[in-house]
Amino acid sequence: MQAKYFAIFVAVSIFLFVVELIRKQKMTFRYSVFWLSACVFVLLFSIADHLLIPTAHFFGFTLPSNFVFFLVQVFFLFLSLFLTLYINEQNNRTDTLIQQVGILQFRVKQLEKEKGDGPPTPETN
Amino acid sequence: MTISKRVLIMIPAYNEAKAIDFLVREINRLYPSFDIVVINDGSTDATEQLAESAGANVITLPINLGIGGAIQTGFRYAAEEDYDCTVQVDGDAQHDPASLLNVVNPIINDQVDLCIGSRFLAEGSGFKSTYMRRIGIRFFARLLGNLTGIPLTDPTAGYRATGKKLIKEFANYYPIDFPEPEAIKIAQRFRARITEVPVKMRKRLGGISSIRYFSTIYYMIKVTFAILLDCLKKSK
Repeated sequence: MQAKYFAIFVAVSIFLFVVELIRKQKMTFRYSVFWLSACVFVLLFSIADHLLIPTAHFFGFTLPSNFVFFLVQVFFLFLSLFLTLYINEQNNRTDTLIQQVGILQFRVKQLEKEKGDGPPTPETN
Repeated sequence: MTISKRVLIMIPAYNEAKAIDFLVREINRLYPSFDIVVINDGSTDATEQLAESAGANVITLPINLGIGGAIQTGFRYAAEEDYDCTVQVDGDAQHDPASLLNVVNPIINDQVDLCIGSRFLAEGSGFKSTYMRRIGIRFFARLLGNLTGIPLTDPTAGYRATGKKLIKEFANYYPIDFPEPEAIKIAQRFRARITEVPVKMRKRLGGISSIRYFSTIYYMIKVTFAILLDCLKKSK
């Protein structure tokens, strides 16, 4: 029985923490969805804990605890997969920005040269 | 010969201070009608200043991106400026500018969309590379030959010219590391006409081959995987 309340406590805490992070604009909804839905999932199974054993059996797990461990592993597997995806996305964006900054810098230099006065010196400012 | 089409020579350079000045001046002297852009890939030496004083336009990337990122920058610039043809010439001056028209002409005459300079097609080519490198080149030549139906001898060569159609595509997407063999497969996916022409190679004047940094095995696996994956992408 105590494990049930402990699970509810952890799920609610994480849920509230994530909501707080969104409120403080430290996390966007897009990246929090994964965590929020995991919390809801844990909450549902903790409150309706009589469903855990039949569900575990349905998926072929003799011990419900093994089923829970399996779910946790799947959760982290997907989490790291998504994180890899995000890193890649960030990488591509940074690369594009670097390339565009390089081209823009070149164009600015060219314009300055065309104007004939070169880059502005600190004294004239 | 009159050339009405606009040609951009793209020189990716990472710490090529030893060779860049000589190379830019040589190309400028031989082909005054072509524009040169040096893509200075975050060099820590005087590559930028030397290339500029030699008369090239220099795009300096604030962070080192590697050869693929540098070349893509060139394609982006070429697409923005609406060039008809780009030629990639390595910053270490290994690619002999004397052969430049060999790769450019088939593009300018609209015979092909991608023209690869092969060091092995040149008569009496004394070019020697390491044993592992030769195995890699032969492997990719066969793999790409089978997949694209185009007979190739030097698929890893960077000395190549690209026509307008591909410039746009490569500006959007170009492979990051070891891009050369994969770029051929991508070009074929865009139904580009591809050919090889003989070019002369020289001893490198400076710099270190980007391939030496990585193990050849990783290079082979990565590029093979990338080429095979490209087969799964829809052709245009």
